[in-house]
Amino acid sequence: MPLQKHCRKLCSQASNIFRKFLVHILQQGPIPKHVAFIMDGNRRFARKSHQVTTSGHVAGFHKLANVLEWCNDLGIKHVSVFAFAINNFNRSEEEVSALMHLAKDKLKELADNSELVRYHGARIRIVGNKALLPSEVRQVMDYAEKTTQDNKGMTLNVCFPYSSTDEMTSAIRALIDDAESGKLQESEISEGTLESRLQIPGPDLDILVRTSGQIRFSNFMLWQSSKMAYIQFIDVYWPEFSLFHMLSIMISWQCAYLAIEKKKQTVAECTRPCMLSASVSDDETCCSEREAA
Amino acid sequence: MSVTLWLLAFVPVAALIRFVGIPDDTLQQTKPFLRQIFDGLCYAILRFLHLAFAVHKSFQSWVQMTLLQNEVDVHDLLLGDRPALVEERAELEMFLLSLPQRPEHFAVVLPDGHTDDIVDDVEALCAWSGMAKIPRLTVYSRDGRLKDFADAIEARLRKSKIISRAYNNNPPSIILDLGTHYAKRHITSPGNHPLHVSLWSREDGFPALVELSRSLAKQVSAGTLSAKSIDETMVASLLKDPFGFAHPELLLLYDDLICIPEFPPWQLQNTEVYQIGQGSVKSLGDAVVRALGSYAKIEKRWGK
Repeated sequence: MPLQKHCRKLCSQASNIFRKFLVHILQQGPIPKHVAFIMDGNRRFARKSHQVTTSGHVAGFHKLANVLEWCNDLGIKHVSVFAFAINNFNRSEEEVSALMHLAKDKLKELADNSELVRYHGARIRIVGNKALLPSEVRQVMDYAEKTTQDNKGMTLNVCFPYSSTDEMTSAIRALIDDAESGKLQESEISEGTLESRLQIPGPDLDILVRTSGQIRFSNFMLWQSSKMAYIQFIDVYWPEFSLFHMLSIMISWQCAYLAIEKKKQTVAECTRPCMLSASVSDDETCCSEREAA
Repeated sequence: MSVTLWLLAFVPVAALIRFVGIPDDTLQQTKPFLRQIFDGLCYAILRFLHLAFAVHKSFQSWVQMTLLQNEVDVHDLLLGDRPALVEERAELEMFLLSLPQRPEHFAVVLPDGHTDDIVDDVEALCAWSGMAKIPRLTVYSRDGRLKDFADAIEARLRKSKIISRAYNNNPPSIILDLGTHYAKRHITSPGNHPLHVSLWSREDGFPALVELSRSLAKQVSAGTLSAKSIDETMVASLLKDPFGFAHPELLLLYDDLICIPEFPPWQLQNTEVYQIGQGSVKSLGDAVVRALGSYAKIEKRWGK
């Protein structure tokens, strides 16, 4: 038995070293600043493993903890995760209640005891329409945000409960409130000022990953994804998402990096005046002027 | 012995790469020499992985292009009289009719700078929409070139034989929409099978949201609207489809990169994305059919 324990410990240490070596290899190339995950497939994973739905969500949380560790090792500064959609409230009361309990427990655990927060200084932000949540869940979320707000490490945006259309609507409302209160002139309303009022304003999303093989956005970070984010639909359930998948996505993104940057540069040249200007027609003018040049 | 040989081979290669290959980095120069060699070795492995990945992608693209070269052009498919073509058309029609679900609104994203055959491409896509019985088509090009070709596209759609054939020689009534600042164009007289076609560009997305914000701000400052009444339902009603259809349910991304080039974000809420590598849209047939086949199997859970 002690031999088995030693072997297990050695294997674990060897796999840690190998993982760090792989991460170091990837760090010789460009590293994305902002990666988002649609953590899909927890329930199907539970069904596949002949377990109850809640076990799938628990497995999903453990996988999230692993993924955050890999992202931190890679040096990714901003990670956004789609934990709960606003229309997930349409699920059964039992499941929604279980998810709320899980969120409450795990967020507290993440804020108080996780290595990511304690040793690596990760900052937790809760993004979404918190007014829809029960008060005890909101309290834990406020606690997690407050206790980590001064941290300088990786920023983790937990989208719970979230929809991109709700985010864009809130940004429009915030813009109008600022215009009404005089903080902003109507002429200053532009893409830039609207974008800065989004719940996840930046940095620009580099990679969007969705697991479970579904090939849609499901109303997640639509504004951010539409701005040339590199999208990867992976055909595994979220709890089965492995380091191999993560590294493959990174290699794939690094190979496409120059082409994406070139396209973004073309877009930026065309739209910089539009981000600041008050006139929509400037978009056409500046594009055709660029072509003429 | 062999391990020693490997090390003797790798160390000078890594050193060479370190001092020649890696971009200038002040931080790199402050590291110990052995660490720099190690980083050089890691860089070499990374470049090898990139090369392996690029070879894998190229092989996949080559296989796809080889298969597509055997595909029939939509003009031949719809206008050809050879028995093989007639049989293929009949099989395709049966397959498309048997799909348990199809998108009501189908969008295609063309790559930037794609001007060759742009009119042919829109005509072909309209024909495919007809064959698949999809009443709503959006063709998107970020740079707005589609709108520059609007007159040529209108002229082509007006007299298109393949579109007429796709609708079993009963030409559809086509309504062409170029965005919120343009009047709709009715290309043919009202018929039984309307086809609603939009030609969108970047200005129909982010700038449209900005314009909406400005319009609402003006109404609030004029006192005709309360800021508190601005909610998702109101914004959704102001951004609804110009023809009253659902937002795009299937998006064909016609590019080698899986990146959305600033397609209107509000409209992507529940869109299935299907990527096709670059090639002629005329040989799109198999990709469109596969995309529709893939769409037919999806389960729409709406969050449940």
